[in-house]
Amino acid sequence: MSNITETAVEKFLEHTDSEAASFFEACVKCGQCAEACHFHLATGDPRQTPIYKLRPMERAYKRDKAPFSSLKKMLGLAPKPVTEAELKEWEELVYDSCNMCGRCTLACPMGIDIAGTIRKMREGYSAAGLVPEGLQRSAEFVKKTSSPMGVTIKALKAQIAHQEKATGIKIEVDKKGADYMCTFSSMEIMGYPEVLGAYAKLFKRAGLSWTISSVAYEATNVGVQIGSAPMAKEILERVVDAAEALNVKYVISPECGHAYGAIRWAGPNLMGRQFKFEVVHIIEVIDKLRREGRIPAGKKDDRRMTLHDPCQIIRRGGLLKEPRKLLNESCSDFVEMKYAGLSNFCCGGGGGVSANPRADELKTKAFSLKAEQLNGVEGLEAVVVPCGNCRAVFEDGFDEYELDFEVLGLSELVAGTLAGDDQKQG
Amino acid sequence: MSFLEFVQGPMFIFAATVFVLGALWRLVGIIKIGRKKDISPPKASAAAGFIKGNLRHFWPRGIFAKRTMVHIVGGYGFHLGLFALIFFGAYHIDFLNERILGFSWPAMPRWAFLMVSGIAFAGLIILWVRRISDPVMRLISDKDDHIGSWLTFLVMLSGCFALEQAHDILRAIHMLLVNIWLLYFPFSRLMHGFTFFLSRGSSGATYGRKGIDL
Amino acid sequence: MQNQIHSFRNFLSLGILMLMFAAFVAPVAAQSVLPPGNAVNLDDGIEEGPSNALGNLSDTEIWDIFRGGNPRDILAPTIEGQVMTTTGQQWRVIREQYILKYLGWAPLIVIGILAVFYLIRGPMKIAAGRSGKTIPRFSLSARVAHWFMAAIFIILGLTGLVILLGRVVIAPYLGLEANSVLTSAALQGHNLFGPLFIFALIWLFIKFVRGNFFQWVDLKWIFKLGGFFGGHVSSRQFNFGEKIWFWMVILVGIVISITGIIMLFPSLVEDVRWLQLSTILHAVGAVGLIAVAFGHIYIGTIGMEGSIDSMLKGEVDENWAKEHHDLWYEEVTGKSATEETEAPAKEEIS
Ligand code: HEM
Ligand code: SF4
Ligand code: SF4
Repeated sequence: MSNITETAVEKFLEHTDSEAASFFEACVKCGQCAEACHFHLATGDPRQTPIYKLRPMERAYKRDKAPFSSLKKMLGLAPKPVTEAELKEWEELVYDSCNMCGRCTLACPMGIDIAGTIRKMREGYSAAGLVPEGLQRSAEFVKKTSSPMGVTIKALKAQIAHQEKATGIKIEVDKKGADYMCTFSSMEIMGYPEVLGAYAKLFKRAGLSWTISSVAYEATNVGVQIGSAPMAKEILERVVDAAEALNVKYVISPECGHAYGAIRWAGPNLMGRQFKFEVVHIIEVIDKLRREGRIPAGKKDDRRMTLHDPCQIIRRGGLLKEPRKLLNESCSDFVEMKYAGLSNFCCGGGGGVSANPRADELKTKAFSLKAEQLNGVEGLEAVVVPCGNCRAVFEDGFDEYELDFEVLGLSELVAGTLAGDDQKQG
Repeated sequence: MSFLEFVQGPMFIFAATVFVLGALWRLVGIIKIGRKKDISPPKASAAAGFIKGNLRHFWPRGIFAKRTMVHIVGGYGFHLGLFALIFFGAYHIDFLNERILGFSWPAMPRWAFLMVSGIAFAGLIILWVRRISDPVMRLISDKDDHIGSWLTFLVMLSGCFALEQAHDILRAIHMLLVNIWLLYFPFSRLMHGFTFFLSRGSSGATYGRKGIDL
Repeated sequence: MQNQIHSFRNFLSLGILMLMFAAFVAPVAAQSVLPPGNAVNLDDGIEEGPSNALGNLSDTEIWDIFRGGNPRDILAPTIEGQVMTTTGQQWRVIREQYILKYLGWAPLIVIGILAVFYLIRGPMKIAAGRSGKTIPRFSLSARVAHWFMAAIFIILGLTGLVILLGRVVIAPYLGLEANSVLTSAALQGHNLFGPLFIFALIWLFIKFVRGNFFQWVDLKWIFKLGGFFGGHVSSRQFNFGEKIWFWMVILVGIVISITGIIMLFPSLVEDVRWLQLSTILHAVGAVGLIAVAFGHIYIGTIGMEGSIDSMLKGEVDENWAKEHHDLWYEEVTGKSATEETEAPAKEEIS
């Protein structure tokens, strides 16, 4: 057995806890999960069947860890050992062909969480060094700058200055004792800096005390995407340390899917302890402020809009109703797309796929389903996409499929339709 | 001891024991692997999610059933049918009453038994023929899946062959296959009949504590 | 007594002709085509009682007592109240003399023909080789409907043959006791799966009737003998051979279904002769279908390269489609079937 195989299999086994084991034990190979996966639906390729993507890990478990596995081995009935060639063959399926979106779980009669198990399987792959180049590059950027896109604090400060000028509101960095510390995804900082201005506007109106850390502004966590707990912990530590040093009460996770899961749900488990602050998602914060009457809604945007459900925020994050309430309050013509809500399609770029250029073609194919959903909404003008990563994927996809809808974030929409602005304008 | 007495007596006791102990061993084995306690602050109850996940997945979501409607209908027909045959067939109730339980309950009438058999057979056949005629299924299925289907089919078929109850040998063959099935069960995919609640429950608990309304 | 046998044979031959099984029912049919001069038409009632069957004691009155009815009034007998019927005897003779003796050979003869054909012509290869590109042919539900029918058909075929031929094929070798066991088992199985056949038949019909209507191009197929002996034949989704098979399954299937129901619920019919006719039509129809099914299975598997793909994967190779269903290929793809499909680059295939 080669070194690669040994490491990978060892990690597979280590990460097959009773939960993953129950999945491998319960799967009846019914193929229903294929009907949910956008990669299978878009390509028709049987290899894109969700459960198939887990096969090497499943085999390792059945051979070496499952109940009766030693008895079966003795009788020569255990499955064959996993080989290096096989691991390499599966590398694409594990990294390119799964957004860890969790849609397949809805279809599975056994409720098997493929997404979460792929996450565990990637532990084996990253430990064995079988990681796609694109993700590896992101990881290197993170080491140097804390951002997978190489966004430095200098760049951030420049964007802050722009937004301060645009909004006329001061954004304080490293303010000790602030209540809230905001984090962002690199994609937002570089691609959609209006988000910073939107936060400033909303928080000023609400009278919130908030800040941005100069060492921990990056919310994304490439460690979670690559599937390396140690790396994920290291990245997370930066944010946790900074927040605790600034003594904030809350850390706000931005409009980014996986960043939320990484810190809110995986975070304490990665660190092995609870945080001294609470993690909240920006959508939760805005919704709460709105319910408290601190950011009343004004004149609504009258464009016909729909909402994309970023998987890690909605299906796997639980924030299903909040964005809808906010949209209804900010927009006079909000329509749901087909499959909206829990069973919405992933954009195709989640789970590290968009950081992995090798997967571009597949990602674009998968986006065809999103394009179909959008085209299915008659007279659609704009789509609200509360995730920076999805947003970038949308824009690529729009080029490919020649679509012409505006894409905007939820904070921007809410900030742009505040009651106060209305009065000022009027 | 006649062959029939053997398969209904000692062999059945043996098979049933292996079945019960094997299934328990396997379930306990899975649970014993254990998992790290999730220390992220929950939004709602994981235990409620465990139960909810179990219940929710009994009912398939329509949007995923377009291409595979026939499979889902077949699946329900087979499983519900088999359940009814095993627990509400007159012969089976009598057997359970006499050999193990010592009490009985009302059986379904013979016409219902035959009708339900038809449904169960149709369902099982549909499930298996899809397994061989859909590239997705051909790719993900292994020997265990086929053996499980066939063994179950043979048990049912031998039972149907013995319906006239005129020949002991036919009943003995049915009983023999039942015993083989019981012996195979704990070591195979057939265990899904017991493990399903763990897997649905695990996901359900994870979803539950995140406050996701499945 | 001869008379009635002949007359019944007449009656039977009519049904058989309707079924178009000329080839394999020849032994039965040939005898019934030319009824002997003293044959009597059943519809006219029986002119004379069985002559001398019971020696000197026999007379109309005795028969009358046995039958429990007017011997001349054979059109109105019911099962109850009868000690015996005369048609029963005829039915028995037909069953034993013809069906049990000859019918079982039909499938074997077909297998023999197929074997000879295979040895001489071998499998029909895809002449241009596989292109590596596929086009969809049957949906998943169509495939499942097909295999569901095939499965039910096989179960019913096997159990049915045991019931029908057990006494002549099994009993002499394995003994009467074994035959009795097997027959009991087969009968229970056959009765339980029978109703599923009706369901399968309806399902198959719904899924496959489109494309199975006769078209002008079928004439050419017939003239070229289906291309089995060389030459290119055009066809749309289904060729004439497939269409024949489809309609045979459906029509004979209906006959088998109806006769099966009659046998399962004998009280549905008043006249016992319907029951007797049913057993015969059922057996002849079923064995006929079984025989032809071997031909179907042959072409679907070893007989023609690439055919089975359509039923296992739902997709067929483009070159297969061009060679066997060129017009369908053109309809589906919008491309010409005579143009070459270039094989995709090597990497793509592997
Ligand atoms: C068990 C072995 C069998 C095999 C290997 C087999 C194979 C096939 C294949 C490959 C096709 C598709 C041909 C094409 O692409 O045009 C087909 C079609 C079909 N089969 Fe079968 N088959 C089997 C049994 C049966 C049985 C038992 C029945 C019915 C009683 C049946 C009824 C049909 C019908 C109706 C079609 C549709 C095509 C047509 O209209 O002729 N098959 N079969
Ligand atoms: S749907 Fe669930 S049980 Fe079925 S094959 Fe997929 S993972 Fe396995
Ligand atoms: S989690 Fe999403 S991307 Fe991954 S296999 Fe399931 S449906 Fe496909």
